[in-house]
Amino acid sequence: MTGHDLIQSLVVIQLAAPAAALVAIGVPALLGRPLGERATAHVVGAGFAAGFLAAIATLAMLVGRGFQPEIVHLATWFEVGHHEATIHLVADALSVPYVCFSTGLCWLVNAFAGKYLHREPGFTRFFILLALFGTGMNLMVLADSIDVLFAGWECVGISSALLIGFFHERGNAVRAALRAFTTYRICDVGILLASVVIHRTVGSGDFERLFGTNWPAGTCLVSAGTATAVSLLLVFASLGKTAQVPFSNWLPRAMEGPTPSSAIFYGALSIHAGAYVLLRCEALLENAPVARLLLVLIGGASAVHGALVGRVQTDLKSVLAYASMTQASLILVEIGLGWRVIPLMHVVGHAIVRSLQILRSPSALHDRHELEAALGGHPGPSGLWPVSLLPAPWQHAVYRIALERGYEEMVIARLVSTPLRLLERAAVAERRWIAWLGGESGDGGRRS
Amino acid sequence: MNTGLGEPVAMIAPWVAITVAAPLVGALVAATGRAAGRLRAVAVVSSGVSTLAGAMTIAALEASAGGLLTWGPAFEGGRLLYVDRLGAALLPYTALVSTAIALVAPQRIVDTDSVRRMLVGLAATLAVFVTSHPLALVVLWIVTAQPTWRSTRVTPGAGGAARVFAIYMSAALACMVAGTALLVVDPPWQRTSGALGTAGGWFVAVAVMIRKGIVPFHSWYPALFSGALMSTALRATQPQVAAYTAVRLLVGHADGVGPELVALSCFALATAVYGAALALVQRTLRGFIGALAMSQSALVLVGLSGTLPMELNGAFCVWISSGLAITGIGLVSWALESRAGAISLETLQGRFQDAPALAGLFLLFGMAAIGLPGTLSFVAGDLIVSGSLDDHLAAGVLVIASTVLCGIAVMRCWFQVFGGPSATDSPRHGILPRERVALTVLLAALFAFGIWPGPLVRFFGRAAEQVLGVSPSPPGFEPDSGR
Repeated sequence: MTGHDLIQSLVVIQLAAPAAALVAIGVPALLGRPLGERATAHVVGAGFAAGFLAAIATLAMLVGRGFQPEIVHLATWFEVGHHEATIHLVADALSVPYVCFSTGLCWLVNAFAGKYLHREPGFTRFFILLALFGTGMNLMVLADSIDVLFAGWECVGISSALLIGFFHERGNAVRAALRAFTTYRICDVGILLASVVIHRTVGSGDFERLFGTNWPAGTCLVSAGTATAVSLLLVFASLGKTAQVPFSNWLPRAMEGPTPSSAIFYGALSIHAGAYVLLRCEALLENAPVARLLLVLIGGASAVHGALVGRVQTDLKSVLAYASMTQASLILVEIGLGWRVIPLMHVVGHAIVRSLQILRSPSALHDRHELEAALGGHPGPSGLWPVSLLPAPWQHAVYRIALERGYEEMVIARLVSTPLRLLERAAVAERRWIAWLGGESGDGGRRS
Repeated sequence: MNTGLGEPVAMIAPWVAITVAAPLVGALVAATGRAAGRLRAVAVVSSGVSTLAGAMTIAALEASAGGLLTWGPAFEGGRLLYVDRLGAALLPYTALVSTAIALVAPQRIVDTDSVRRMLVGLAATLAVFVTSHPLALVVLWIVTAQPTWRSTRVTPGAGGAARVFAIYMSAALACMVAGTALLVVDPPWQRTSGALGTAGGWFVAVAVMIRKGIVPFHSWYPALFSGALMSTALRATQPQVAAYTAVRLLVGHADGVGPELVALSCFALATAVYGAALALVQRTLRGFIGALAMSQSALVLVGLSGTLPMELNGAFCVWISSGLAITGIGLVSWALESRAGAISLETLQGRFQDAPALAGLFLLFGMAAIGLPGTLSFVAGDLIVSGSLDDHLAAGVLVIASTVLCGIAVMRCWFQVFGGPSATDSPRHGILPRERVALTVLLAALFAFGIWPGPLVRFFGRAAEQVLGVSPSPPGFEPDSGR
């Protein structure tokens, strides 16, 4: 077996292992015979463990070859005329370390959740969604074509929304899940259109035809116009998952989900999915200064927004959510500035710290008491906050803006409510028309 | 009888005959009253046999050199028996939808009349897909509308819906008769056609719009879903008889895409977006399904107006994927309603606790409807978006808008129905084995073709070329005979 064949097999394992776990626990659940708690956690854990070990082995091989990228041409999914949907994966200096980190984190959270969700009614559902997320994440990270990337991106979005609404009996959780899904879905337009532009330009979704895959020194193979168009669309797509202004208000509410999923989604992996996609397409961004400028502006504004609003939150998970948003925004700024390795390291470092903080958040008071006991008292003020340098009236204004979350929700609500009201009127008019036509006075007959 | 290629008729025709005849035999058995205790079995077996025979028709058609079966005199471009790849694909699909409906139908509505109506309606619908004869299409339009109207009329509380359906279908049939007559007199697929042929095309286009529930002739769609039995609504809408008629009578003009088809496509685009937007604000589960079905089925017409095989391929894939997914959603909702009554979307209903299996299935069908990766609708969406954008940028953007709105609407509906605190005294409802079988088969089809779409997409690619006349005509095949 050649080195290429071995890497190909290992990459397939990284993808297939969590997918197999998903099938192994999903199919019995669908047939009304779900596995027991212990078996469920073990199967999913084994899937992540296999994926993680395969990723470590791939990383070792890549290090030995000086991070020479390996393209894995798995199959052509389907082909119609000039439109070709391929399943091409890439093992390079970006994807393989990222899979190691993401699969390893999923494995850890899997172990944590097995205990944390013991006897929870939705135990199996949680692990099905975790396995779907892990599969989607690996698909997205290893993708060497926009089609595969989009498939992974969708799996991440759907599993994320469903886990926010995990405690479905709580109205707030359900509303938060719908808000997150709506935001994702709107921003998905960017990636859908980017996919179409890529197909139209190079005849397939393969990244190889768009840019050289020698990350982080890839070269752009398309015109500056195409690079700018695709980059702008990808920037738009990444705004939703990275919770950037004006799409940030779903993030604090997303903490309605179980703690383990909050940690892995909004502290570690899902929140950085947009940044990963932009890093993957860095060669296009390099040739799209407008997109980079936009990234810096939006990222900067979101970082300030997150930092300000986070300071006035009164519950720990919201504070952590805004802290995540701030760091994710800074990562986007770094990408916009043209840096490559620094944002990648920032992603990994931030993800590890934040997921630990979120996982420990249910024990925050206990941790605080331990800290104070160890220090022999209150740890003292946390340092200088620049807003305190402002004159008092300005401080009050900033405080009010932060308390109202930058009025972001109010503006969005106004923008959305008018078309929704019009639609409701249209629906009422439809019902009246049908009732009149059917010779009825009310909303029309109905039965089951 | 011949296949148009000199091949033995024995290869394809028997399977076509069994496909159409099996439901008729079932209807006869049901009508005799001898199977009073086994009416569901009669319905399931006869439509199941039809499904299998339909699948065999595809296999036999693929084994033949030209992928085409024709018989009967050529009449103004049509043949009495005309089975191409598109028609063949629609046979098992329609029969499968009917089988699933028969399996899930609540016991209280399974009686001799309903089973007879269902099987006769199925046979008539299948007969539509094996002809390209204009007069036969007109007759079958009338025959296929009958069971829906009769079933709705006898359903308690559905008098209004029956009346709305009757009004719209009468208009559709009048347009269809007038349009077909004019097309026969002055065929637009010949370069010498004049004003009569053009007018005929427009009449047929209006008939198709009405029968497909295209804006502004869409009101019967939500009325039927809200008022009639779910089985009636699904059987009337999911086979998409009108889309097939559009393929046979409007696609493949001598001068390329006819203006009436372009207009049809524009209205269909508006319907796809409007239906998806309406689905967002529906107050009842039935209303939501009606709006979603309206939006999804309109996408089929969007693709049909394309000049590229990819667009038609996308349209055919959407035809099957949205049909299976909407049927799944409809049947899960029906099962849910039959246990716990009508479902409002105005507040959180909290049904997860008492029907977790149905919640899971609803979610899977919902995801399959909006393009979850790994389902056929993901592939279909990719093809139709790419095809539309290749042809017209604005059309592609509207298709994307419709997809996005449908996604949000499906998720909202799922959370409204299954989310929220459950009533503590509500009993826990399991899922019956027959329901599980039906829904699992539909899901399996959606996922199997989604994970391994190659064969289906290639098959529909050949079907699209056949419809557009792109492929070289096989010996003995008249280019204008099927369009």
